Amino acid sequence: MHSPFPSRFFRPVSQILAFASLILLSGCDLNFWKMQGHQTTMIANGPVAASQLSLFWVTVWVTLVIFIIVGAVLAYATIKFKARSDADEHAEPPPQGHGNPMVEIALIAASVFALVIISIPTLKGIWYTHDVPEAQKADAYNITATGYQWWFKFDYPEKIDGGAGLVTGNELVIPVGRPIRIQLRTVDVIHSFWVPKLAGKVDMIPNRGNFLWLQADAPGYFWGQCAEYCGDSHAVMRFRVVALAPMEFAAWVAAQKAPARNVAAAAGAAPGPRPQLATFKQNEYGYSEKWADGSPINPLQNWVDQQKPAATEDAALIAEGKALFGTKLCLACHTIRGHGAPGIAGPDLTHVGSRTTVAGGLLENTPAQLARWIAHPELVKPGNKMYASGYVPMNIKVADAEAVALAAYLTSLK
Amino acid sequence: MDATIKSSFTDKGSAVSNRPALLWRPTAKTGLMSWLTTVDHKRIGFLYGIFALFFFIVGGIEALFIRLQLAVPNNDVLTAEQYNTMFTMHGTTMIFLAVMPLSAAFFNYIMPLQIGARDVAFPRLNAFSLWTFLVGAIIINLGWFMKDGAPDAGWVGYAPLTSKTFNADHSIDMWVMGLQLLGVASIAASLNFIVTIINLRAPGMTMMRLPVFVWMTLVTAFLIILSFPAITIALVEVMMDRLFSTNFFEVSHGGMPILWQHLFWVFGHPEVYILILPAMGIISEILPCFSRKPLYGYPIVVFSGASIGFLGFAVWSHHMFTTGMGTVATAAFAMATMCIAVPTGVKIFNWIGTLWGGHLKMRTPMMFALGFIWMFMIGGFSGVMHAAAPADAQQQDSYFVIAHFHYVLIGGSMFALLAGIHYWFPLMFGRVVDEFWGKVSFWVIFAGFNITFFPLHFVGLNGMPRRTFTYDSNLGWNAPNQIATVGAFILAAGIGIYFTLMIYSYFKGQKVGRDHWDGRTLEWSIPNPPPEYNFKVIPQVHARDAFWYEKHNQAEIAAEKASLAKAEAEHGGIHMPFQSIWPLFCSVGLLVGAIGVSVMDHDPRPGFWGTKIAVTIIGGVILFFSAYMWALEGNEGYHLHADEDDDKGHGGKAHH
Repeated sequence: MHSPFPSRFFRPVSQILAFASLILLSGCDLNFWKMQGHQTTMIANGPVAASQLSLFWVTVWVTLVIFIIVGAVLAYATIKFKARSDADEHAEPPPQGHGNPMVEIALIAASVFALVIISIPTLKGIWYTHDVPEAQKADAYNITATGYQWWFKFDYPEKIDGGAGLVTGNELVIPVGRPIRIQLRTVDVIHSFWVPKLAGKVDMIPNRGNFLWLQADAPGYFWGQCAEYCGDSHAVMRFRVVALAPMEFAAWVAAQKAPARNVAAAAGAAPGPRPQLATFKQNEYGYSEKWADGSPINPLQNWVDQQKPAATEDAALIAEGKALFGTKLCLACHTIRGHGAPGIAGPDLTHVGSRTTVAGGLLENTPAQLARWIAHPELVKPGNKMYASGYVPMNIKVADAEAVALAAYLTSLK
Repeated sequence: MDATIKSSFTDKGSAVSNRPALLWRPTAKTGLMSWLTTVDHKRIGFLYGIFALFFFIVGGIEALFIRLQLAVPNNDVLTAEQYNTMFTMHGTTMIFLAVMPLSAAFFNYIMPLQIGARDVAFPRLNAFSLWTFLVGAIIINLGWFMKDGAPDAGWVGYAPLTSKTFNADHSIDMWVMGLQLLGVASIAASLNFIVTIINLRAPGMTMMRLPVFVWMTLVTAFLIILSFPAITIALVEVMMDRLFSTNFFEVSHGGMPILWQHLFWVFGHPEVYILILPAMGIISEILPCFSRKPLYGYPIVVFSGASIGFLGFAVWSHHMFTTGMGTVATAAFAMATMCIAVPTGVKIFNWIGTLWGGHLKMRTPMMFALGFIWMFMIGGFSGVMHAAAPADAQQQDSYFVIAHFHYVLIGGSMFALLAGIHYWFPLMFGRVVDEFWGKVSFWVIFAGFNITFFPLHFVGLNGMPRRTFTYDSNLGWNAPNQIATVGAFILAAGIGIYFTLMIYSYFKGQKVGRDHWDGRTLEWSIPNPPPEYNFKVIPQVHARDAFWYEKHNQAEIAAEKASLAKAEAEHGGIHMPFQSIWPLFCSVGLLVGAIGVSVMDHDPRPGFWGTKIAVTIIGGVILFFSAYMWALEGNEGYHLHADEDDDKGHGGKAHH
């Protein structure tokens, strides 16, 4: 069998491929290999993530060195011993050698040695990342995170007057420089708690008392996401972590402990012109990366700004929304302390206006996005437990205008 | 062909017409009936291959839908539910319905030829495995045609997402039932292969002379019979939770969802080796053939394969590093996982040793084999990174894992299986695949595969979790996803070229004589396509690369063959098993029963189960009736004399 390999054909093929890849890449941000995204594991902002990252680099360097050596030998053997002609192929068979035990033993020993290099920091890392180091245990701040389809609840050790604990949802605010020990619970299926820049993930598994610890080295705003497939809307089960200096953290806790904010409405005042409900495409991007003037946002500053009430508020519209919160039975599932809303099935909304995101970390917390979420939750979060063909449990419908009023009310809850 | 039919119910030598009508034995050698009743390992292997390739294309289309959805951020080609169904079915299809049966196709077709056998030990059981595999595949895919849809709980089906509370429709029932049937098929087939390899080796074919592909078949078969019971138990528990309200995984009644993960991965990790060991076996056949040298370090390669098999049972929890196992368990599983890297690395060293000093013939199977080594190295090294448990906490369930296991499963298993199809094509069909277009298909597949999956390493380390139907555009994930989608279509084009080429070659490929590649193992010693009885004379094996030895010691072998042929003729000629319809009917019974269990509607109140119970019972009756008929018809066969042993094909003449 004579089968010449027409290399002259493959030159144009490789050129076409190269050209196609150029076209393909021209539309892309080619910096993706630097891996500098909000959720990257390549930037460690705390000791746990740092320990995991340094171990990752050990594995990269060890395997890369082996890859280069073995790959070079493989490439050399392929080129050197390739039959170059028909005559070559039909020459006398090469020596029929069966191997060399000494070579095998040497290579096995080398492999074991390489693995020992990886296994020592692995073992160290397993113990270090597992729990808060003994010396810091006393200083650890304990939080319980609970996974729901599809949002996160956070229980703080702080007690509100009357004994109930402080509860928030979807934004975890932590003090900087203190180990945070997080109990991981779930009320339904398995979820996984993952803030890549602070720590690797640990799963929230029913009937299992998991925990993790993390620590933020400096104030910051961090992206997190559920990392275990948990049903329809797993992809949009997200959250944020906000790390604050101790003083700011204390101030935030004090503000959160307060009951919900009231916006006084003049008696009989009619709502002003009501903003139209914007229309959104399915899965449309719901988080702006830019300030109003178009410059890139500073997410932490954005969060700080979010703590303050808006400069102009339509008190009458807010009052309408507050009333709707009762008549539409939102209060059956959501708590708003001070406004008579006691429900616990959904996130606590007492200070929802002070969060930068809603809908489980998916949408930016602006009145427009809030109204989008309230008007058509099933489009934002398919399969969500709040809404089927109407709001559960009474199949309640919310008109667009009512969604706008509810959004105004919730936005006022700083 | 009118063979002489014997029966235990009639005198020896009576014709088929004398048997009771019910115990009629089909004798058709062509047409649909010949395929439905076949017990020939080559036909069964061929059918396994055809079904597997069909599902490979189905799974590939599912993959393209996944990549389409992720091509750009915030996309809405698919709804969340459709997307979740796609990735669930993509994983289930590729693992259970494409790669495993494609390996089974090679086990069936090639392994008996390599050990010098005329069939597997239990030919009818072999047919039963084939049809039961098909039945399981049908059940799993029925959802596409029903209003409940196909399963969408992920291919790992983690409890409690598979419970009635969170997935009330029938899709999970079908997934659970279908996988159980696949388990039955796989275990029956594996027992068959084990007995075949132990008992039906040609004289002189000692265990340490077995071709490495046969060794890997043996190890894989043991992995299957030891690991499938674990998932079967888990699946039965889920089924009982769903049908009879038991509480194995029902959290509100104290069930333990973590138990599912342990049972699943006690199966699931050996499953990884079930998928890769046959591939390693194929590579270990192709490299020596195209290097014109024996495999370097044969005993080391064999023992490495066996150690991988053993260690494969000791590392399941490395899929569960993030489930909070505690320090000691995590450390133990991390260390055990690193240990597996040693025998795996040893295999790579020995493959390179095989190339060293050879005359490398760069034909398409060799290209795929070399591509396999490169891709498998990359997949193996990212595997070592996962073994470092704390680093894995950042990688688990991210796209880094997706990249890792696709390098092992496509760059590894699929490359080897595609190489194997190309390599054994001349043997199976007597025609050769065009080299030029073969190489084109290799390069397009190679390029498409790397363009698809290499960027996914980066997007994974950049924090993108797997199984997500949408992602936002501000996370730095856009470019790699876009590139991966383009790569997926290039890969699909390459696969398209490959299959077009195979279909073309089947009809129009250049005809070739036996031993097209200058092979080293026994399958190349017979005419192509192989006659039904495989070997006119069962060979006497003298060395590890048995056929290579024959070719280089022709005088000695010719004399020996003549005396063996004479001895065999004196024993009545070549013994062939009868065909049978009952394996197929047994599988039909399983199909009907499985439909009853998983598809028929049922009410939680036991009194309302009428249809469900009726259909299930009908299926059971068909199964048991067929099984008894199978037993009663007996296992006899007939003798035939091969009058010629040439490349014109089936020279068998019936013995009257």
